[in-house]
Amino acid sequence: MAESSLARPSQRRSYQWASPARSVISDILSEDRNSEARHRLLIEAAKREHDRVREEAERVYHEHLKREEKQQILDEKRKEEDRIRLEEQIAAERTRLNALRAKKVNIPPVAPEPEAPKPPPAPSATPPAPAPTNATPPATSSQVNGTTAQTSAIPAPKSSPFLAPIQGNKQQLGAQPTASSPLAAGTPPVPATQTLTGAPKPSLFPSGAVQNNGASSSSPAVIQPPAQAATPAGPDRYTVIHNNLKALRKSMVVQAETNRALKATMGDMRREIRKSVGQLTGGAGGVNRMQQQKMNALLREALENRVQCQLIDASNFVVDTTRPPAQGARRNDAALPSLFLYLLNIFSKAVISQFINEAGARPETADPVGVCVAGTFSEPDFLWRGISLIDILMAKFRIVCPVLFGYRGNEKMQQGRQRIGWWKENGTWVTEQQHMDRMTGLGAGYAAIALRKFGGSKKENPYPPRNYWTAMAKIVNTPADDISNTQCVVLKSMIQNYEQRFIEFYGTAALAALRTALLEFPTRAPQKSAAVNSLEVLALSLKRDTGLVLG
Amino acid sequence: MADLASRITKPDDKTPAAVVAETKPNVADADAPVDGANGSGLIEPVYDVEVKLSDLQADADSPLFSVSSFEELGLPKAINDGLLAMNFKKPSKIQERALPLMLSNPPCNMIAQSQSGTGKTAAFVLTVLSRVDLSQPTQPQALLLAPSRELARQIQGVIQTIGQFCENLIVEAAIPGSISRETGVKASVVVGTPGTVIDLIKRRQFDASKLKVLVIDEADNMLDQQGLGEQCVRVKHVIPKAIQILLFSATFPEKVMRYAETFAPKANQMKLRHQELTVKGISQMYMDCPDEQKKYEILCKLYGLMTIGSSVIFVRTRESANEIQKRMEADGHKVSVLHGAYDGANRDALLDDFRSGRSKVLITTNVLARGIDVSSVSMVINYDIPMKGPGEREPDAETYLHRIGRTGRFGRVGVSISFVHDRRSYEALSQIANYYTIDLVQLKPDDWDFTEKKVQDVIKSSRAQAEYNPAAVKA
Repeated sequence: MAESSLARPSQRRSYQWASPARSVISDILSEDRNSEARHRLLIEAAKREHDRVREEAERVYHEHLKREEKQQILDEKRKEEDRIRLEEQIAAERTRLNALRAKKVNIPPVAPEPEAPKPPPAPSATPPAPAPTNATPPATSSQVNGTTAQTSAIPAPKSSPFLAPIQGNKQQLGAQPTASSPLAAGTPPVPATQTLTGAPKPSLFPSGAVQNNGASSSSPAVIQPPAQAATPAGPDRYTVIHNNLKALRKSMVVQAETNRALKATMGDMRREIRKSVGQLTGGAGGVNRMQQQKMNALLREALENRVQCQLIDASNFVVDTTRPPAQGARRNDAALPSLFLYLLNIFSKAVISQFINEAGARPETADPVGVCVAGTFSEPDFLWRGISLIDILMAKFRIVCPVLFGYRGNEKMQQGRQRIGWWKENGTWVTEQQHMDRMTGLGAGYAAIALRKFGGSKKENPYPPRNYWTAMAKIVNTPADDISNTQCVVLKSMIQNYEQRFIEFYGTAALAALRTALLEFPTRAPQKSAAVNSLEVLALSLKRDTGLVLG
Repeated sequence: MADLASRITKPDDKTPAAVVAETKPNVADADAPVDGANGSGLIEPVYDVEVKLSDLQADADSPLFSVSSFEELGLPKAINDGLLAMNFKKPSKIQERALPLMLSNPPCNMIAQSQSGTGKTAAFVLTVLSRVDLSQPTQPQALLLAPSRELARQIQGVIQTIGQFCENLIVEAAIPGSISRETGVKASVVVGTPGTVIDLIKRRQFDASKLKVLVIDEADNMLDQQGLGEQCVRVKHVIPKAIQILLFSATFPEKVMRYAETFAPKANQMKLRHQELTVKGISQMYMDCPDEQKKYEILCKLYGLMTIGSSVIFVRTRESANEIQKRMEADGHKVSVLHGAYDGANRDALLDDFRSGRSKVLITTNVLARGIDVSSVSMVINYDIPMKGPGEREPDAETYLHRIGRTGRFGRVGVSISFVHDRRSYEALSQIANYYTIDLVQLKPDDWDFTEKKVQDVIKSSRAQAEYNPAAVKA
């Protein structure tokens, strides 16, 4: 090394020991070329050269480190920018939603009625007093669970693990006043509509024969009161809708007895819809086009009402009973053909049943069904006064999976089971395994419906993601003592396979929510059951499969 | 329950006790039957009444020690996490009874029989995983034999899923075309078909000297069949003498059982009587078809009667399999057809389509009657009644059982519908029904509204009397 360096004149000059008088030849020939002093000199020179090279290397290395760091910062900056852009989009979307909401709030409430899952505490507490005539909700039907939930169902906003992430997030979400509202802990963006429970009609069937486009005036021949009149004393609006749907089904059977045309088509249509829902499969775009078209065709046929079935006031089947006619809406009449509403009801039943039976075993099968739900309820022809009729499906969800709507209960107690939607069959509770299967399927199904992207679509999302956030908030904000396995199972299945979608919608807030749901929530659970542990295992799987680190 | 409607709309067909419970929630609930408990519930005059969960461990006829949670088995955390990720929450009956015996030391042989879809695979997979020393990842330590490549691949998948958090776990399938000729078997766990395994060992590409566990799935079939049985014996001769042998199946005919006892000496045994063989949760019906030709149409109609996830249709000939496929695709179904005419790789791909849900109808000849587990299968159709023997004169009860066992997996709802269209098929089915003492419900294809109602009722009632409870939460 030293020798080679020495051989280069340009460098040699810089070394102090190299006297300019000496030539290479003289070096070699000089007498002391083997002397100890000279050896030392050479060794020293070698060491210096070594140090020089080393310093240079270190300098380059440090430079490289700095450059890398700079690059990293740049990358981070870019990521932040991306995220901010995304969040701005979300914020903008939310502003739109809020504007929409504000519009609805203007409607004067007809008969203000507190809703069970509504956050403000102490709503007409325990006794279902308002209507002593027909009330005593727990007794009405075995499966109308959650009627007693008003006391316990109120999410406790004070604990609000969901609030925490939001604070940190406000800068990015910008000044939009709307930005944080759907994220606020126990106070999810209760759709303003929910707070208004109008006094439902005494009968499902308006006695004035309401005309639908093209239906002949003689059509509503049989007008008969439904078996169960909707009373305003119902435990919550969804349960009322659910009862109205039962009455609707009964009335269809009665109608079919006298209306031959109806009888001839109704059963086939019902089976066709059930079959089409069962045929939906996962896979690249368009695999389910045939099924969707068939479904739409059947529903359109029902809307045309060639079989001349009765018309029914559609407000019986929506949460906002005072929904006003909307400009440009295709269906603005108060009433719609009963067959159409019946088929939507059948469709909803088929969907729920598919979630329970198929997605319970394999949660991933819920997704194509969710796509179909979004596609069907958002179809402009099937909107009523410009808004979807998805409340029909949600009323069923409320009955079969109440924990999504903030209801809680102790699984070891009869009433607790009733509240959380533990199904009874022939008077006996279904087995724990069946129950957890159902909850798995319904949780996945809910996510499949509530986390749909409508970005590029002209149609309006019938069940936007804020509902998902609300449902998750209601579960994770459960006080530690009330946490149930059912909630854990639902929570897990509504997250699994949908974490990416959730993050796309809510950005860092979604990460905070996932941390709360998968790490903090299970640690708060009083008992470390398998259901609780499986939430933590889901966090492990996410870390392994997607690199998503929540901890 | 396939049909939500029938349950929601009919609150009136509850048992009297339940009705009382609903109207007087305060005290009367104590009398309500809760979760199959044989006695009355706890009497508690407070607002909430406790549910007495059926005490699974207090099963008096079980002399065996059993566990109520996987954790009590002392499985390593990695395995337990794998179970949780699969949504297994509690052991099923066969698991809770057989696992402590299989995991005990010194290792003991086991012959275990349990109904289809009750968790046999997971039981032996857990045993295998806890016996394997993961610090020697390429040394074969456990060998699992199955009768078909599909089943071997399926078991391989289960091991990999349950073992997903076990580091260094290598599982290879010793099936034709899957083990590299250069490297040979380099895995701690090997799942294969007997023929391929023998070949590999003979070619010295599979070091069998350190094997600790031998599992034979569908053991009655494996030990009984001419070719497979011989191969199993040959495998046994080339592996260490001191090995734990585990034999599993849903069916164990008498003579096979005797042979099994010599194959796995001094084994612990779990057996069932043949009346107990069918899973009660499966609603078994038959469709009275006017003639052979009408069967196609009727088949398509079935899919509107109830909620169906995936379904399997068993047919006798490849020709009718292809014909049915054509019809069903025209009706909007996504269909896979699987029969002997397809070679290995093709069969794998077709079955993967069905497993992943890209297709939801599987039409097959007998290839798949055994073992294949697709949890979302909710309907099995015997388009032709299974027959055996020379000239296919004898009804094949065992195959019938394995076929309908493709549904009702793990306590889920399942429906099986067998088609009869003439005297011969009717009599064959009757014999099978007699053998298992099952009541088959008749369906007719003339009034679909009525048939729909009937199917719903059958599903509902067979669910209600489903006393067999795998007791496991595989949610």
